Amino acid sequence: MTMFHFFNCAILTFGPHAIYYSATPLSEYDTLGTSVKAALVYLGTALVKLVCLATFLKVSENDGFDPYQELLKAVIGFIDVAGLYFALTQLTHRNISQNHKFQAVGLGWAFADSVLHRLAPLWVGARGLEFTWDFILQGLEANANLVLSISLAALGSLMWLRKNKPKTLIPIIYACAGIVATMPSITSYLRRGLGWHFPKVVGFELFTSLSMAFISWQLFSACQRPSS
Amino acid sequence: MVLSKNSGGHRGMQESMYSVIALVFILVACVELCDAAAAIDVYRLIQYDMSGSAYGSRFAVLNHHAASLHFPPGADLSRAVLIIPLRELNITFVREYINQKKPLGGLLFLLPDIFSFENGGNKQVHEKEKLKNLLAELEQLLIHANIPYPVYFAFENDEIDTVLVDIKKNDAIGQPATATTGGYKLVIPTPEPKKVASPTITNIQGWLSGLKVDGDTNQLPTIAIVASYDTFGAAPALSVGSDSNGSGVVALLEIARLFSLLYSNPKTRGRYNLLFGLTSGGPYNYNGTQKWLRSFDQRLRESIDYAICLNSIGSWDNELWIHVSKPPENAYIKQIFEGFSNVAEELHIKVGLKHKKINISNPRVAWEHEQFSRLRVTAATLSEISTAPELLQGTGGLFDSRQFVNETAITRGVKLVAESLARHIYGHQGKNVQIFADGGSLAVNPAYIQSWLDLLSQTPRVAPFLSKNDPFVMALKKELADHTDEVNMQHEVLEGVFTFYDSTSARLNIYQVASVTFDLLLLLVLGSYLIVLFSFLVITTRGLDDLISLFRRPPSRKVKTA
Repeated sequence: MTMFHFFNCAILTFGPHAIYYSATPLSEYDTLGTSVKAALVYLGTALVKLVCLATFLKVSENDGFDPYQELLKAVIGFIDVAGLYFALTQLTHRNISQNHKFQAVGLGWAFADSVLHRLAPLWVGARGLEFTWDFILQGLEANANLVLSISLAALGSLMWLRKNKPKTLIPIIYACAGIVATMPSITSYLRRGLGWHFPKVVGFELFTSLSMAFISWQLFSACQRPSS
Repeated sequence: MVLSKNSGGHRGMQESMYSVIALVFILVACVELCDAAAAIDVYRLIQYDMSGSAYGSRFAVLNHHAASLHFPPGADLSRAVLIIPLRELNITFVREYINQKKPLGGLLFLLPDIFSFENGGNKQVHEKEKLKNLLAELEQLLIHANIPYPVYFAFENDEIDTVLVDIKKNDAIGQPATATTGGYKLVIPTPEPKKVASPTITNIQGWLSGLKVDGDTNQLPTIAIVASYDTFGAAPALSVGSDSNGSGVVALLEIARLFSLLYSNPKTRGRYNLLFGLTSGGPYNYNGTQKWLRSFDQRLRESIDYAICLNSIGSWDNELWIHVSKPPENAYIKQIFEGFSNVAEELHIKVGLKHKKINISNPRVAWEHEQFSRLRVTAATLSEISTAPELLQGTGGLFDSRQFVNETAITRGVKLVAESLARHIYGHQGKNVQIFADGGSLAVNPAYIQSWLDLLSQTPRVAPFLSKNDPFVMALKKELADHTDEVNMQHEVLEGVFTFYDSTSARLNIYQVASVTFDLLLLLVLGSYLIVLFSFLVITTRGLDDLISLFRRPPSRKVKTA
């Protein structure tokens, strides 16, 4: 019965990535290589972030919200953005359209994030007899993360890969990218500073990820119109 | 050179491979560790055979769902564990269940904190007495019944209280926990109980020699002071027997200490030998005492003037009893009783004499002095209990904890016995002399009594579970050696009438489990979510036609081949 629960949570956490790959034209254009490369880049950025966090961050005794520590974490979080930039621009991809490139990169990025952060707790925790809602909430969080990664990749490709953008939209693009990039800090502030419970935080994440996805979709199609 | 470098590199690779594999194994193995809602220490009901009949709880492993007393009537409890706090115990209900042999998965009794050593405080007094009597009754019921499922005792704490409140709520809704409805699962992973092979009983004796005047070749007379130190109760891991017979052991040690002070100086050494005996096997018809006496030399046995046995002198107010088996008209008995009465009067204690004849054909030995009397040695038992206890009753069970023993009572008892003995030894009968007066150098030491009583109240002492070299037995031997000239230990095997089984304590894990229907429902929900997601993505990126075409076999191929 407990393996059953593990299986349920696993398909909730990792299923959407596979579904996204197979449902969209990504599978037709065989963009798996791009996703794998993006996942490896994520691994590299995670290591760099770890080293920076270990060097610069103090270990706090209480679980409260320390603004300076959180600011430092947010700055280190921008290494994420740098990694995404590297994956989008510096890697050599096969000849795939921009539309699919950012999706593949975002997918690979989100998949690596889920595996690194959520597979081990799932394996160790969900197979025991004790039942908690945590793993289901964690799966929902993984879904929200997928949407956020893809929107961040979309905004990133708009910022760095598209040359002719309407002038009025540029600040909006950068603003949205900033919001999405600082999502981790916002959620940790909600959890520690305001003391929200896990389900509430996950709900907030889902809501914001869907709204940011919608906004970035609109921006993307708006930017696409002049060139077409 | 290149080759060695390569092999070194290979070895390095191999080592890191092994460490990775080891890490994987550790990860796989550590699932079942520490993921329970609560884990508490539990103590099992005793399992023993007496003359071939089985008694106590015959099983130890537990893996069932939990239920409380509010279960819906008619519910099937054969795979459920009933959790019963002592405060809500209805003894007739339990008796009915056990006597009618109704099927049950297990029983877990929750004892209030006052019965544990660490947390007992001075809570409401009237509640204490009521709970004590209830627990005594429950114990007698359980140890004389043959129960085919595990029975455990645990102390109440916050974790299990919250769990029990939850269980009661679920039961009240009418949804007792089973495999399909979720709830709490109690798991005790312990191996099957095995027989204790040749249980040993250890008697410890200390000998204090009297003053032998030069030229006197006769054997000096001996006075024996005896107390049995082992216990028997419903939960052997909790049978500390503070009153029965921790109080007797403490009193004996204090008397030994006082007389060793007196005897250390040849000027104050009496003309009597003193023999101190800490015997085991008390609950089993004083089996140990019998073996100890049988091991005596005939001359030694004949030189014993009289023996005083101490049994439960820890919780009395003003009245003590001296139990004898020789008739009260007997000259020796009269002498002993008068000696005690005189001292008792001065100490404002009332002492009564109770006579119980021995029936040689009856194997039941209710008092320790009866073993002496069967070998024609004058003996008496000093106790606060007025009637003879039954077999396995009053032997230091669950309810006999530190809370119910009063050090002042023991101190007064020690004074009574010590003064009476001293007057007999030094020939001061009838005179109003206080040898062990308060405030003097020979005063009874309440701190000594308290510290030994505390130690005894934390040490369960059921004889079959005390090995030959148990640290507590060694501590008793060492203490007696400090106060006497010569200490001997006698190891015997407990007679074959009793057989005991081990596995007396374990760790209970309480898991909150979800039902199978929940998992199936979740699978259904997730499956539909993934299907909806798939369709949504196909429609938005490739168009509705593509979605439909996934399910329809393309007809064009057939046309081509044709």
